[in-house]
Amino acid sequence: MRRTSFKMTLLKLRESQIMKIHYLTGICAVFFVAIHILFRVVMPFGQSLEYQNVIANYHNIYYVVLLELILIFVSIHGFNGLRIILLELKQSDRWESIMTILVLAAMIGIIAYGTRTIIVGSGL
Amino acid sequence: MGLESEGDKSSDFNTYNAKAKMDNGREGLRGWLNPTRYGWERVSYWLQRLTGVGLLLYFIGHVYETSSLVNGIDAWNSMLELTQTTGGHIFLMLVIGASTFHTVNGIRLIFTESGLGLGKPGRPDYPYDATSLNYKQKSGIWVALLLAAIAMFYGGLVMFGDAS
Repeated sequence: MRRTSFKMTLLKLRESQIMKIHYLTGICAVFFVAIHILFRVVMPFGQSLEYQNVIANYHNIYYVVLLELILIFVSIHGFNGLRIILLELKQSDRWESIMTILVLAAMIGIIAYGTRTIIVGSGL
Repeated sequence: MGLESEGDKSSDFNTYNAKAKMDNGREGLRGWLNPTRYGWERVSYWLQRLTGVGLLLYFIGHVYETSSLVNGIDAWNSMLELTQTTGGHIFLMLVIGASTFHTVNGIRLIFTESGLGLGKPGRPDYPYDATSLNYKQKSGIWVALLLAAIAMFYGGLVMFGDAS
């Protein structure tokens, strides 16, 4: 009973709603990553990775917003995908709660770490 | 002879049942990784998960390698020395292939889950082929594999400098 209530407070979304978020973040990530890749092929690939060019990208506010959105969408999509795989391998309330907590923690950690790079790199 | 083969079948069935009871019907990672039993749909299921996990690992690595930007030009250049190599480019080609397959097959799965391309429900007649496992689904998987190969080829051309 206690475990069930713990799970309920942890994850109030239904699995069908989580799947909608999974699909939506996936589709958004495809569009944003495509733009991110276009920034690498508008000039020769090696040249686009030179420090000055990358810093110039980071000083473009629209590109900064794009990077942050990619970070958030890919993190949500990727870590929820990992959660789905882990829940397919084994089923129990305890396993589901532990995996959800671990995956959420990792997702928040990656978003925080990537956001730090974006903020420092863009000089905001 | 007929009786013997029936006996063999029964013995196989009993062994399978006993084994299934032992692991509570769950095959775990072994079952998940077995692509041989269900045809192309199983290959697609397996590849979708494999590319998904691979892309997540790449994403984490990419966020980490990009963070060298905040430590100045020297840190950035030493990171580039590690990644801008022939091996690094081949690895990126695999990432491009994996992401293309994952995207195209993912879109197919969104359509499938919305009920598109599943065919009309019908009476189950021998040999009991599921109408949902039809040529539309299979061709979706083949298109995903083909586009992944084309994207890998184009990515290779860009990175190795023959096109840009």
